[in-house]
Amino acid sequence: MSKELLSENTSRRIYREEDRILKVFSGDFPKEEVFHEAFINARIEAVLGEMVPKVLSLNLRDGSWTLEKEYAKGRTLQELMEEEPSRKQEYLEKMLELQLQIQSHQVPVLEQLKDKMQRQINELGDIDDGTRYELLTRLAGMPRHEKLCHGDLRPSNIILDEAGAYHVIDWVHATKGNASADIARTYLILALDDKSMAEYYLELFCKQTGTKPSYVQDWLPVVAAAQLTKKRPEEMEELRSWLQICDHM
Amino acid sequence: MAAETARPVDSMEALSEKIARMRKAQARFALYSQEQVDRIFRAAALAANEARIPLAKMAVRETGMGVVEDKVIKNNYAAEYIYHQYKDEKTCGVIQEDRAFGYKVVAEPLGLIAAVIPTTNPTSTAIFKALIALKTRNAILISPHPRAKECTIEAARIVLEAAVKAGAPEEIIGWIDSPTLEMTNELMRESDCILATGGPGMVHAAYSSGKPALGVGAGNTPAIIDDTADIRMAVSSIIHSKTFDNGMICASEQSVTVLDPVYQAVRDEFEKRGCYFLKEDEMDKLRKTMMINGSLNAKIVGQPASAIAELAGFQVPKATRVLIGEVSSVEPSEAFAHEKLSPVLAMYRAENFDEAIAKAERLVADGGYGHTASLYVDLKEQEKLARFSEAMKTCRILINTPSSQGGIGDLYNFRLTPSLTLGCGSWGGNSVSDNVGIRNLLNYKKVAERRENMLWFRTPGKIYFKQGCMPVALEELRSYYNKKRCFVVTDSFLFENGFTRPIEEKLSEMGIQYTLFSDVQPDPTLANARAGVKVMESFKPDSIIAFGGGSAMDAAKIMWLLYEHPEAEFSEMSLRYIDIRKKIYTFPKMGEKCYFIAIPTSSGTGSEMTPFAVITDESTGVKYPITDYELMPDMAIVDTDNMMTQPRGLTAASGIDAMTHALEAYASMMASDYTDALAIKAMQEIFRYLPRAYEDGSDREARDHMANASALAGMAFANAFLGVCHSMAHKLGAYHHIPHGVANALLINYVLQFNANEKPPKMGTFPQYEYPHTLERYAEAARACGVKGEDDRKVLEAFLEKLTELKHAVGIKDSIRDYGIREEDFLATLDEMTEHAFDDQCTGANPRYPLMQEIREMYLMAYYGKPYHEMSEE
Repeated sequence: MSKELLSENTSRRIYREEDRILKVFSGDFPKEEVFHEAFINARIEAVLGEMVPKVLSLNLRDGSWTLEKEYAKGRTLQELMEEEPSRKQEYLEKMLELQLQIQSHQVPVLEQLKDKMQRQINELGDIDDGTRYELLTRLAGMPRHEKLCHGDLRPSNIILDEAGAYHVIDWVHATKGNASADIARTYLILALDDKSMAEYYLELFCKQTGTKPSYVQDWLPVVAAAQLTKKRPEEMEELRSWLQICDHM
Repeated sequence: MAAETARPVDSMEALSEKIARMRKAQARFALYSQEQVDRIFRAAALAANEARIPLAKMAVRETGMGVVEDKVIKNNYAAEYIYHQYKDEKTCGVIQEDRAFGYKVVAEPLGLIAAVIPTTNPTSTAIFKALIALKTRNAILISPHPRAKECTIEAARIVLEAAVKAGAPEEIIGWIDSPTLEMTNELMRESDCILATGGPGMVHAAYSSGKPALGVGAGNTPAIIDDTADIRMAVSSIIHSKTFDNGMICASEQSVTVLDPVYQAVRDEFEKRGCYFLKEDEMDKLRKTMMINGSLNAKIVGQPASAIAELAGFQVPKATRVLIGEVSSVEPSEAFAHEKLSPVLAMYRAENFDEAIAKAERLVADGGYGHTASLYVDLKEQEKLARFSEAMKTCRILINTPSSQGGIGDLYNFRLTPSLTLGCGSWGGNSVSDNVGIRNLLNYKKVAERRENMLWFRTPGKIYFKQGCMPVALEELRSYYNKKRCFVVTDSFLFENGFTRPIEEKLSEMGIQYTLFSDVQPDPTLANARAGVKVMESFKPDSIIAFGGGSAMDAAKIMWLLYEHPEAEFSEMSLRYIDIRKKIYTFPKMGEKCYFIAIPTSSGTGSEMTPFAVITDESTGVKYPITDYELMPDMAIVDTDNMMTQPRGLTAASGIDAMTHALEAYASMMASDYTDALAIKAMQEIFRYLPRAYEDGSDREARDHMANASALAGMAFANAFLGVCHSMAHKLGAYHHIPHGVANALLINYVLQFNANEKPPKMGTFPQYEYPHTLERYAEAARACGVKGEDDRKVLEAFLEKLTELKHAVGIKDSIRDYGIREEDFLATLDEMTEHAFDDQCTGANPRYPLMQEIREMYLMAYYGKPYHEMSEE
């Protein structure tokens, strides 16, 4: 059987083996997180059906946990957008459609987005107490909703298969929370790459759902703070500048 | 103790220990007298004022925002104005007392106040909140913002030290040394009340804590300069306000909308006074700098204009006071439309005043709901001022006033309460719309003693009596009142039999023109009354004589009412009430057109003495009982000559009716010494003379006494009202056409026993009615009528027998059934009668509040003539 290594980092390697994906975690990767990922995926499969590649098994092989999932064969929206820049907007519209469809569901067992963000802001090492206080205050004032949020929805996490069906992958950040917070998160991801794409996406969301842009924008400082916990050097400076806000008084 | 006090609050554990110690301190403080509190309040205010400059310097140094000199003013204001406002206000114990009404207000502290202090006004807000907490005997635990914690804590420490020195308990003021949001939230949850000054997030957190919160929110104050405004004053006021502490006051103007005719002049004045109008490219640069993804950039807050320009990447003269962007959009997508907490101002042009208001409304809706709005206008333009204040959904509407200084009160208007915490009402998601002060930090206990209501005794202005008095009394129509046209109301029986002739003769003799309306029907209808009014309208009388029994007098009262007030609305007028003084309907003034004389021809209804009338709407069948002292006759003439020919049946029925008037007025919750005397006398006379008048209609002495007894009973119930016997009799009469007096006679014995219950399921509600004492009252009445017995119960039994004997003596039968009412007809109407009897106006004065089931049961007992039994004892 041939195994193709798709990606690799210090905590896991991802292989493709025929129509399956094997996610092999490093030996010291916490067991609870492995099981958590499998559990979340299973819960979301149950709610969203075909859109989500299924978990097939979870095994301990040679001291490493291996998560076996369906392989969604096709091309990511990211790839498609790069190939056909003229159709970017069309793909973004499709992405929003999928995001709104996902948000129309509820998965009660998931972690509450606000709680997760609060934890992340408290974990941030390199911000001053005043900024942390402002961010947590801002977060405390935001609405607490129960919608299914992917938590990392981006063009590279959406796959269009040959049959024309879309699949959404990478559910490890899924939470229940406010739809605008999830949109803000996608906005941030898009903006780090291309601000105009992010603006277009936000405008589209606000138009389709009758949401005030400020309702989404109010989440941006806290979403940026949460993203900072990923410590990606190329994003740090930009994200830090997003935090310097003043809650009106 | 000292070591514990010094222990910093830097963890959740330390916080909870601090709260426990402060609660103990507050418990002691709660016992302080007004004198002690005022001494502490004064010492604390003095100390805070003393420290105004060091605290201001510290705040600017620590936060990097604002202007030292302006912060000095704020500190000074927080100490001086707050002290001045409240120094003489009572906040301890009984603060208000009204002995006559038995009403006291007692002020009590809330307990532990959680105070959240912002970075923009750290020291002044801390001083303000600490002082109002001290004045109200509360403990206050301050949660500073991490960016301003040193100066906030220092301000609190200075106030605390002075307070303790003046005698306040140690630790009555406290603070979190290393603030985190987690500790702030815990403090809010553990407090008794939250004074949260801050942005929407903090206000929301406060309201989510589950504790009462006086949270206040953001402003986005729009200013309008009308074309009638004093431009120099307006422009300088706005600059003065906008530059104050570099624009950090939440009430500060964020935009100015100028009416087109004065736009250029206003612009020139701003420039002349040192403001800088941004060029297009500078506006774009500033937009990008001011806002980060739609949120205000913390770096520009409280900075001078030149520094903000530099941050945005352009230069302006160092002395620039305000950066002004001339913009057109009031939508949130325009960065200049937001609150900027800095000397940056948006300027709009409006074609007319309406457009200016529309812009201001939109700006308020974007982040400024409930806060402050301002208008510069010539005060002659009150109509504009009214339109503006109507349109603004803000709790402070300031006219010709710099809003930073104006909003906090007592500086530019001396009725606006000084405060550094400005409530934004429900529009701003707040529980208060006032400038927050000591009243928000006190619980007011109202101590209310039981008081009896004022009672009254009202009768016709003139009552004439004695056989043969009528012509003498009528003489006054000419001699005293100079009346010329009299309208006489009577029924056809009296007219056709010539009983009205003495009146007619007297009127003719006096030269008074008169018209006689003799069509009054029994149970008169509205149509009946309107027919009379029609005659009155063409005849235009100046006096009315009602001559007859209850029907003629009722009909005449209604004609009187409709003649004087054709607009009278009977459904409103007849609405059930609890207290005749508090009726929703205000009765129109009577007597403007006609003087009203009542002359009874039967001895029973007492209508000549009462302000009551009943009229039936023939189209709906609804009976309207009208009660108001305006309907009281002006004169009553009780002349036995008019009563000599009453038929026996009428003598019996109306005589027993008068007896129930006396009995019910005596037992009424509203009975008084005045009505008691009349009721007793009436009962005595009726027992004695009714059988004689019944046996021999020509017994002049008996007729005379009965005429007076009826009038006395009338006066008694005109003031004490009746009870459930009449309620039930009204409906029995209406449904089964039993004469009113007979209906009362059939029910009264049951009602007496019903009311005499000493443990009724429900008693009536009236302050002078203290406990169910009706048995005692009936026994009193009975003894006055010569009944004897070993105790009240026995006396009542004998009294009931005496009543039964009286009824038998005048030919009253024993049961409703005996009057030929068929059982199935009676039972078919029973539930409806019961409900209507319960809802009858007379029920309200009954000493026992009847349940509908009890009324129903009494009806059944009376129908079959069964002995009384008490449902509540089954």
